[in-house]
Amino acid sequence: MIERKTNWPLTIFLLIVSAPILIMYVWLFVDSISEINTDSIWPTEFTLRNWRFLVEEIPGHGSVWTALFNTTVFASSVVAIVVILSSTAGYALSRLKFPYRAQFLGMVLLLHSFPSVTLIISIFLMLRMIGLFDTLIGVILVKASLELPFGIWIMKGFYDTVPWEIEMAGVQDGASRFQVWYKLVLPQIMPGIAALSIFSFMAGWSEFVLPLILAPSAEMKLMSVYLAGLVNDDYLSDFGLFKAVGLFYIIPVMIFYFFTQDKLMNIYGGGTKG
Amino acid sequence: MERIRSYLPLWFMLPASVAVALFFLIPVFMTFVFSFTTMSSDTGILGSRYVVSDDTIRTLKGSGMDAALLEKLGSRIFTFDEAGLAALRKSNLKPAVVKEIAEKLSGKVYTSEKKLFNALKRLNNRPRSFKDRKSVSRSIVQTLKNREFKTAEEFRAGLASIGVEVAEDVFENLLDAANMSWKWTTSNYSELMASDFTGKILANTAFYVFFTLFFNVGFALLLALATFYMPSGQSKFFRAVWLIPRVSPSVIYIMLWRWLSFDNGFMSYVLGFFGVEPENWLNEYPWTFVIFANGFVGASMGMIIFASAVVAIPSDVLHAAEVDGAYKWQQIRRIILPLMAWPILFITTYQTLSLMTSFEYILLLTDGGPGFFTTEVWALNAYHTALSNYFGNLRYGFGATLAVMLVGVGIAMSLLYLRLFDFKKLVAEPQIEN
Amino acid sequence: MSFKRLTMAAVAAGLFALPTAQAAEIEIEVWAPADKNERYRFEAITLAGNVLNEELKIEGSDTRVVVKKGTSFSGSQGWAQLKQGFSLAVEAGKGPHIIVGGHEDIPVWGSAGLIHPIEDYTDLEAWPFSDLFPSLWPIMSWNGQVWGAPQDAESRPFFAWNPHLKAIGYSDADIAALPDKVKSGQYTLQNVLEDAKKIQDKGLVEKGYGFYPRATKGGDYWQFYAVQKGGDMYDPKSGKLILDKGALLGYYQFFNDAVYKYGVTKKNHIGMEWDQWYNEVANGKAGLWHGGTWHYARYTRREGLTDFFDKVMFSLIPSGGSGGKATTLTHPLTYLISKRAKGEEIELAARLITIASEPRLNTLHAIASAHLGITKAQTKVSQYADDRWTAEATALLQSAFALPNSTDFGQYDTLVWKGLTAAWSGGVSPQDAVNTVVKEMQATMADKVIIR
Repeated sequence: MIERKTNWPLTIFLLIVSAPILIMYVWLFVDSISEINTDSIWPTEFTLRNWRFLVEEIPGHGSVWTALFNTTVFASSVVAIVVILSSTAGYALSRLKFPYRAQFLGMVLLLHSFPSVTLIISIFLMLRMIGLFDTLIGVILVKASLELPFGIWIMKGFYDTVPWEIEMAGVQDGASRFQVWYKLVLPQIMPGIAALSIFSFMAGWSEFVLPLILAPSAEMKLMSVYLAGLVNDDYLSDFGLFKAVGLFYIIPVMIFYFFTQDKLMNIYGGGTKG
Repeated sequence: MERIRSYLPLWFMLPASVAVALFFLIPVFMTFVFSFTTMSSDTGILGSRYVVSDDTIRTLKGSGMDAALLEKLGSRIFTFDEAGLAALRKSNLKPAVVKEIAEKLSGKVYTSEKKLFNALKRLNNRPRSFKDRKSVSRSIVQTLKNREFKTAEEFRAGLASIGVEVAEDVFENLLDAANMSWKWTTSNYSELMASDFTGKILANTAFYVFFTLFFNVGFALLLALATFYMPSGQSKFFRAVWLIPRVSPSVIYIMLWRWLSFDNGFMSYVLGFFGVEPENWLNEYPWTFVIFANGFVGASMGMIIFASAVVAIPSDVLHAAEVDGAYKWQQIRRIILPLMAWPILFITTYQTLSLMTSFEYILLLTDGGPGFFTTEVWALNAYHTALSNYFGNLRYGFGATLAVMLVGVGIAMSLLYLRLFDFKKLVAEPQIEN
Repeated sequence: MSFKRLTMAAVAAGLFALPTAQAAEIEIEVWAPADKNERYRFEAITLAGNVLNEELKIEGSDTRVVVKKGTSFSGSQGWAQLKQGFSLAVEAGKGPHIIVGGHEDIPVWGSAGLIHPIEDYTDLEAWPFSDLFPSLWPIMSWNGQVWGAPQDAESRPFFAWNPHLKAIGYSDADIAALPDKVKSGQYTLQNVLEDAKKIQDKGLVEKGYGFYPRATKGGDYWQFYAVQKGGDMYDPKSGKLILDKGALLGYYQFFNDAVYKYGVTKKNHIGMEWDQWYNEVANGKAGLWHGGTWHYARYTRREGLTDFFDKVMFSLIPSGGSGGKATTLTHPLTYLISKRAKGEEIELAARLITIASEPRLNTLHAIASAHLGITKAQTKVSQYADDRWTAEATALLQSAFALPNSTDFGQYDTLVWKGLTAAWSGGVSPQDAVNTVVKEMQATMADKVIIR
């Protein structure tokens, strides 16, 4: 095995290059639990006042718990769509024969070079045509579709690494190709599904512009919108509160990451092999 | 059985294809079409509108149209003729009001609404509310001005209703001047060529992509390798630290950078001990901060992929090298790096394309400033033009043009990278018939 | 029948009885950029709804309105999104019936056919509009029609820290006379720079704090163009925007001098944090500065400047020199009726807006958010008259100007702003900045702007 013991020069070097992140986030945390003093960078006294949003509503901004719940629903829906559609399309592109397969794959990569935000007017027209403008289902579909090229690309890579022998054995046993995919291949690419879920969950979790523009009157408020509402509230202008809410917004994803990071480390199971 | 099986690729591809087509492919195509229009928030997006307003008449006057005709187009005449009285009877005014109007005002003509209202006020059964007076006015008015027509035919009928008949070429001119919706044009492209800033923004974009990419990929590799040789606890810690920026909401992340760089922020505070005057470092060195802020976010993705690639290298390969007495540095150079060629290429490609289209952190950090487009990159410029303008008028058509140019470059780079990837190998033929 | 079943039957009966008890309920949805202090942008319509329903009852109508609070989003980024959302929503036949927009939205939305002109639905010659400050009407008009009713007014005064003025030789009487001297053009931007320098040289404020402008981009900066000789922005005759090279140079030169010649303003001032900015100006850390009437709320409440009138002088923005005149910017928001409203909804929306513009109702917003009122009668409403700030600041409105209502304004504004930041902190000379702006404008908006 590779020897892994603490190499102090290396650790110290990494600490130095990571310093900006460490300093910024430690201060974020400290500021969120102290009275802010604009004159100095040092906090003055300890307070839990900035975290009051956990137990009471900030006037004019609603409950943070509703926003958290909405964001969870939103991000999970995006994950569900992206994972299901990418795992079928990725399989087809990796393993099935059909016309224009190469062109499909080339297209998937090309789409990535389009700044999605400039598509918004056209997306508006499409949503309006199918009657989903100003609905959250519409926004979820759009968000998921924009994530699909990445998802398909990653999943195709994972399927590429599954040995053909598994499938051949399945087919010889008389299973249909669909059964082979569902029962034999899919379990092989679970790490890929986990990795893709994490990436699309993060993307859905932080989405801000799409719901605001494509579902302007929808009642559902997401965390990103809640936070932006606080930062834009000139009169509230309570940076301590804002920092605490921001931290609160990051924590669930970090927890999610801690529980899944071993799976995430398997992303190279595929996705990027030439 | 064979026949049914052959539909499998269709069922597998269909849902994703429909979603991508609806919300990605067709919009890309439409954006290309929009780039040849004057579409903006004041033209609207859907439908056509023809309105003769003060502005229309002013424009036509400038183009030398017949003054008598323009006079007529701009006029509002209120006539209690048969048609007008018939319309009054159909309105929801009280019958007594309509009766008195028919008796006393029949045949009268007024040239302004004010005069009409004054006449109405002298009636015994006068329409008391503003709404009722407006109701009279609307029933009997003969005008074209500020009325909205949806089609050219409606507009023609509208002209006829005020007794204007014009030759076809004059009608075309009128129609064109009254058209409030967007028009076809190539001026977006020529404007782009004419602007002095196009070259600057292009150069900014290349600068930004290149240096951020360098930072991203370099740090990603460094972190992946360094954490590989560390005890598990430490490597988990560093990986988590570098992931935090990525999972932070952008507003928070950028707020922290500003806190770090402002004249009453952390950097100024620390440098104060060395006798350096407090300074707004962000404004002083905007590019440095733009690249750092984007680099710290971008490195995490490469780090994860590289780290998992190193882990995936069979340990006996590395072990063999160790037995041979190779140092770590040689291990990295001779064994790990060559095996990582593909992931490095993938990340480079992917990040190049991502960076070209990304702008969110620049938007929040410097908003393209300070000064004339100092840190404005192409995608940010497209955003500013098409989606965000404090004073309201968004130029969708011009924004689409900027997006089209970007996608052109994107396609060229993708094709290049696909060639490097050995695309043919990627789409190797399946080994089982469907 | 058990007790439980009885109650259930009663509840069911109650539920079914409710919808039939009322006749036609018409929902009117309102969108507004409104945070906590500005909640009356909505609430005034809600209160007006109560009054309107009583009026409808008396008129014997079955109709009742229900005011629904829709999207609220404030701050410049959020507000841009709100406007964008509105455009698309109304095009799709959705969105609100009433929106509170900026007056600069009138030409854009009017041109796109997203709003009804209010003059067709309410009598602007009747109360309360008959009593409106006359200067507000042109701001609500575009293309020959009046489109909206002003929701509030404000102005963007020039401020000075009195103790610092005294320290450089002003007497109490001098300070009291200063606003008039500014108005008459005796005290100019040149004096501003000189006084700022004196304050700084005396060590009263730190370097770069002598003249302390607004922290971020904003329409306020147009004031320094408007106070110059020839600083017009709009030609009503041709309907085109105007860019006066001389005025533009004067404007850029002023900020360039402030930074480089006098050193009274920081080179990297723009883009600083508002929190820090408010805190500094409200605590005498700046000599002279400019802000908005609504800043009063922030200074006196959050920053604890309780003796505002002793410590702070406020006036118009001083003239840029001979040929220029002192002025201040007003940027009223406006109630607009969207095309989402159809038939009876338009009439009801117009009536709601009319009632909400009554002095007493409008005053709620003025006081809660430290904005100015819209009608003369408001100055006699006790809540307004008793508030020293609104009472005194309203006088500035008479000399105020507004940004032009033009669909091309955004593009024009962006370019002129970029020129300012270049001359301020981008290492470009004011003359070069003017040349670059003029050249770019000739290349990209030649038919929309008169350059002189």
